[in-house]
This record gives sequence, C-alpha cells and structure tokens, in this order.
Amino acid sequence: MSGTVLTRPAASAAGSAPPPRRRTLPRLRKQARPWLLLAPALLVIGTLLVYPLGRVVWLSVQDYGLRNVVSGESDYIGADNYVRLLSEPYLWQIALPNTVVFAAAAVGGTVVFGTLVALLLRTLGPVVRTIVISCIMVAWAMPAVTGTYVWIWIFDVDRGIVRQALVALGLIGADGVNWFTERLTFYAIVTLNIVHHGFPFVAVTVLAGLLTVPRELYEAAMLDGAGAWQRFRHVTLPTLRPVFAVVTILSTIWDFKVFAQVYLMPGGSGSNMEVLNLGVWSYIRSFGRQEYGLGSAIAVMLTLMLLAITIVYLRALFRDEELR
Amino acid sequence: MKRTHVLSAAALATTLVATGCGGENAGGEGDTLDVWIMEGTNPDASAYFDDIGEQFTEETGAQVNVEFVPWADAHNKFVNAMAGGTTPDVAEVGTTWTLEFADAGGLADLTEHAGDTDAYAQGLAEAGMIDGRLYGLPWYAGVRSIIYRTDVFEELDLEEPTNWEELREAATTIAEEKEDMTAFPVAGDAEYSVLPFIWGAGGEIAEQDSDGTWTSGIDSDAAREGISYYTDLALEDDVSTTGATTWKETDIQDNFIDGTVAMAISGSWTPKAILEAAPDLEGKIAAFPIPGPEGGYSPSFLGGSHLSIFNGTENEDLAWSYIEVLTNDRNAELWSEQTTYFPGKQEQITPFTESDDPLVQPFAVQMSEAGKGVPATQNYGKVQGEMVLQTMTQSILNEKSSVDAATAQAAEDIESILNEDS
Repeated sequence: MSGTVLTRPAASAAGSAPPPRRRTLPRLRKQARPWLLLAPALLVIGTLLVYPLGRVVWLSVQDYGLRNVVSGESDYIGADNYVRLLSEPYLWQIALPNTVVFAAAAVGGTVVFGTLVALLLRTLGPVVRTIVISCIMVAWAMPAVTGTYVWIWIFDVDRGIVRQALVALGLIGADGVNWFTERLTFYAIVTLNIVHHGFPFVAVTVLAGLLTVPRELYEAAMLDGAGAWQRFRHVTLPTLRPVFAVVTILSTIWDFKVFAQVYLMPGGSGSNMEVLNLGVWSYIRSFGRQEYGLGSAIAVMLTLMLLAITIVYLRALFRDEELR
Repeated sequence: MKRTHVLSAAALATTLVATGCGGENAGGEGDTLDVWIMEGTNPDASAYFDDIGEQFTEETGAQVNVEFVPWADAHNKFVNAMAGGTTPDVAEVGTTWTLEFADAGGLADLTEHAGDTDAYAQGLAEAGMIDGRLYGLPWYAGVRSIIYRTDVFEELDLEEPTNWEELREAATTIAEEKEDMTAFPVAGDAEYSVLPFIWGAGGEIAEQDSDGTWTSGIDSDAAREGISYYTDLALEDDVSTTGATTWKETDIQDNFIDGTVAMAISGSWTPKAILEAAPDLEGKIAAFPIPGPEGGYSPSFLGGSHLSIFNGTENEDLAWSYIEVLTNDRNAELWSEQTTYFPGKQEQITPFTESDDPLVQPFAVQMSEAGKGVPATQNYGKVQGEMVLQTMTQSILNEKSSVDAATAQAAEDIESILNEDS
C-alpha cells in the first residue's frame, strides 16, 4: 500500500508532460480513498491517544504543581525532570528492576502456560473444549480489581487459605509470614494474578493458530521419527511464529504497565516503596506529591521503553519479511 | 458554569433591596447554588440535604443543586474542576486538603464572614488557616480513640487502661488468654494510629522555625520513645498479628467486625458502622480515650471536614448563607445524630462530653481535651501522598529498619517535602 502512494508522485514528477486532466481526478480520488476510509479511526485515535500523549510529553518538560493546575500557567524547565529522574537511585534500584523483571516473568509465565493450555485444548473433543474454554474465559472476564482482591484474600496473612495450608503442613510457624512486605513474595503473588488473568487470551489465540496448522506436517514429522517436543519445536513453533509474536508483544505491553494489580495490594499504594513499579510510582509522584511534571516524565520513559521493546521484537521476529 | 452572569447579578440586586433590613443575608431569587458534599460520611444524606435545601430556599429564594462526591475520588475531582473552571460554589473539603487548595488559589477567604475563630474546635480551625486567614469553616469533626470489647474485658477482669503500661498489660493479658483474638493490632498502613504515640510521648511531626523552615521532630528522643512503645507492642509483646503490618484502618475495622480483635484504635464514626455490620456486638463495645504515657490522654488526630467557598462563585454572600444554614445549631445537631460525627463549634460539642453513651462520651473527651492537627501547611498533603509515616511504621514492623534508622529517614523526607516551595 505504501509503495503505491510513494511511487506515483515520483513518477509523475519525472514525467515530461503533465497527465491529462481527465485522469487526475480519479487518481486523486483513488489516493484520497484510503485516507477517507481511515479518517474516522484516525480521528478517534487522535483525540483519545495522540492528544493526551502529546499533553503528557508537554507536561514532562514543565515544573507543574497544583498551583499550575489552577492558574493554567506553565513553567518550562526543559529536560530537568528527566535529569532528576535518571539520577534518582530509586529508579535504578527499585522501580526499573521491579518493572522489568516482573514483566519478563509474567510474560514468560503467561505465554508458556497459555500455550500449554492451547495444546491441551487441541486434543479435546468439541464439547469438552467448549466447556473448558468457557471456564477459562471467566478468568479473563474477571475485572482486574476483583481478581486482585481474590488473590489478596487467598494470601491473607492471618486467615488466608494458603497460610492455613502451610501452617497445617508445618511449613511455616504459627505466626505466619507477611508475604506482602517482601519484594519477591509480593511480586510472586502479582505474577500469579497476572498469569491467571492473562493466560486465557494466549490460550485462545494460540489455539486458533494451532487449528490452522495442516495435519500433514505433523504426520510427516512423525514419519521422520519426531517426538512430541520435536514436533512442537520444529513444526508448531515456526508456523505459529506470528501468533506468538502478537501474544508476546501484547503481553509485554500489558505487563509493563500493570497498575491496579500492584496498587491494590497491601503496601502497594505507596507505604512500601520497595514494591512499586514504574506505573504506580508515576501515579504517586503525580497525584500524591503533585509533581505532575516528574510523574509525566516517568510515564514518557515507560512509553519509550515499551516502544523500543516492541520495535526490537518486531524486527527480530519479522527479519525475513514474513509480515509482507 | 451553568449559571449566567446577568441573571445572578440581577437577582443579587433585587434581593439586596428586598433584604435591606435583613442584615447580611444575601439571596438570589432564581439563582442556583452548586454544592458538593462528600459521600460516605452518612449512609444516606440525600433526605438531610433536601431538607437543608428547602430551608435555604425559604430564607433566600435561591435553589440549591447538591452533588454527592465519593471521598475516594474527591481530591482528583476538585483538582480537575479547578483546572477546568467547573468548581462548585460551596463544597465540603477534607481538612487535610483545605490549605493545599487555598494555597493553589482555589478557595475564597472566609475570615470576614466567620468572625471569631475561637468559637470553633481549635485543631479544626487551625487546619483551615494560612497566615491568620480562614479558608475552611469547621463543619464536623471526628477523632480516634480506642474501642474495645467489654465482654472480653469483663471475662478477663480488666479495667480501662489509664496509662501506657496498663495498656500494654491489658493487651498482653488478652493475647495470652484469648488465642483466637488479636489483642491490639498495630497497623502499619494507618498513619493516624501511630500519631497518638508520637504526640503522647511529646514528639512532633514537624515544627516551623521563625524563619519559616520546617524541622521534623519525628527523630527526636521523645518521638522515638513513643514509636518504639507502639511498634514493640507487635515486635516484643506480640499482641498484634503478622498481617497487621500491612493493615489499613479499614482492615482493623473489618477484623473487629469479624470479632477477632479485642482493642483497636478506631474513629468516633466507626462504632455505628461496626454495629450495623455486626449486630451481635451490640452492648459489647465501649471506648476510652487514648491514655498518655503516665496518665492523662495522648493527643489524637482531629480530622473532619471544612466548608469552603470556591473562587469563581458568582455570589459569595449567597454561598455563605448556605454555609450558615448548614451549620446552625439545629442542623448541626441533626447532622451529628445521623452521622455520629461531632460538630465543629465548641459550644455544640459540650452536650456530647456530658453524654452517658459509652460510644460517644470517650470520643468527645478525646476531641475536646486531646485533639490535635497535623502541621498546618499546604505541603503536608504531599507528606501524606508519599505515605511517609506509613512507610516508617511498616519498615519497623517488618524489621527492615531500626526505629532510629526509620525515624531518621522519615524526618529527612518530611523536611525535604515541607521545605520545598510549592
């Protein structure tokens, strides 16, 4: 599509004679048509995405507090917010590792578990499959807030079922353990929550892909003596690469900007600074401290990171121009 | 803004003439006042405000449009309204927000209207003043004391503690005798629960020097002693529970309702909600003011609501009339009855301190004798936003830092936040 748009004006510029009038109009119309069709979507994206994004970028180069909110005056300070942000040890020691390591674990967990469920689903008969899919859809349909509170309840320090089970098994003392105060255990619970919430999407998407893989490929592989793992590794994986690319990228984007699942956990709304990720930190800086400028700078950084990761992914996965 | 300038100016002119002999009541026939009231204080306040609206209309001829705003969204809603110029004429404002909004230029100066501020609960009036000018009129107040289970106290033959040692003894007795109960939860995510012990020991969150700089007293010996006493209840005396390290006040309340907590720091407005949720506790709860280290009382945070007029209102006098109707003796009494909050005027509090209700009188005593405000500066909201006190308490409770280290860090944070120019 982009090829045609680019080459045509170039050709006409190089051409010695202007094209006859009669032809220009349909051509113009032809060029305008895609834009016309795209216009409603672009308009919506422009208002709902590009404008707020631009506003955040603009805020991030200002010293913007509550007083500015009321007066509407802006106080341009250039890259100061970014300098402050990047020289803050908290970013490097806590917020960034929390975000990145957690996202890696959550994406890995979601994609692997989702794929396993998809492989299971493929072997099921249509009736059982429908039942299982309906069940896992419940996990997907559950609002993040509800899901988070369920996990908090499961891990309730004093009366949660996990604690009761572990005490009954004699694995922890009668006093229990507060897993919400430790970074690792805190994020282990968040990861469970996210994987539980995110795997149905991966399972259903991968299943859709799996059903398109021609049976003959597997039969041929089996004739060659390939085991289950080899069939997955050498038949399923290459065929479904675009599908895996999509679910991985989407999961990465979702897991990097996890907010509610951290914010709602005990200590996650700011009283335990060790467990904040970039999203929650940005929120607390903006609305807790009313440093909207710095908060925006964190948000912009998070966006840039996500863009970079997405580009790297896309390039790695479609190196051979499979996309076209 | 829904109202038109022409209309309200004309209305003001006519009513000024009409009420020429009626004193300061400025009204507006056909004028409409926008009022925001916080939702969640009173289970259903709409009937009450319908009634107030009728009284107001009768008095001034103007209409009122009351909008209920949930507490949790309110701060952002105010900020957005100030940015967009859609603020109401009159609003209920949480006492810890008033200075912040006033400093940002959002609130009208009420000093001339209010007159002598000594008539109001002191901590509450202070929380609404910058440089001697009043921006939030004390409307109602709540204070935290200790609520306890009378049946447990009777069974174990305990008396209401009157000093810290007795409090500790009562708690350890309960902890030993009642295995399935938490004697006294030491909640890590509840700033107002730790404050009485800081203040009771003689410590301060922060004080302003003559040159305007704030110095935090949270790392003083006195404050450290109070914080140690409080956190040691959990760490040494084991009267709390592991989970309480990350409890908020609502978690204390939930567990109290479940019947698993024997004593807890709780707000004067909570017994009603607790009894509603757990009717079987009726007659089994009472309260006592938080004792001082050697007797007397430990000060407890006096929170509540102000009524403020927003800059941008077109009829400040009319807005003030509404506030007057809302805070007159009869309506204030009715409001207290319905919400179990205390009125903001000193003379209206007296009947409560003389009450014989075990769930009213102790709180009223706490309020009138040992109520205290947080540092009166627009930046204190940021200290709360950063949860400095919660972070401090939690890091001590989960034994990540010592009392000395945690308080030093908190003092540093408080000073850096309070001394930054907003």
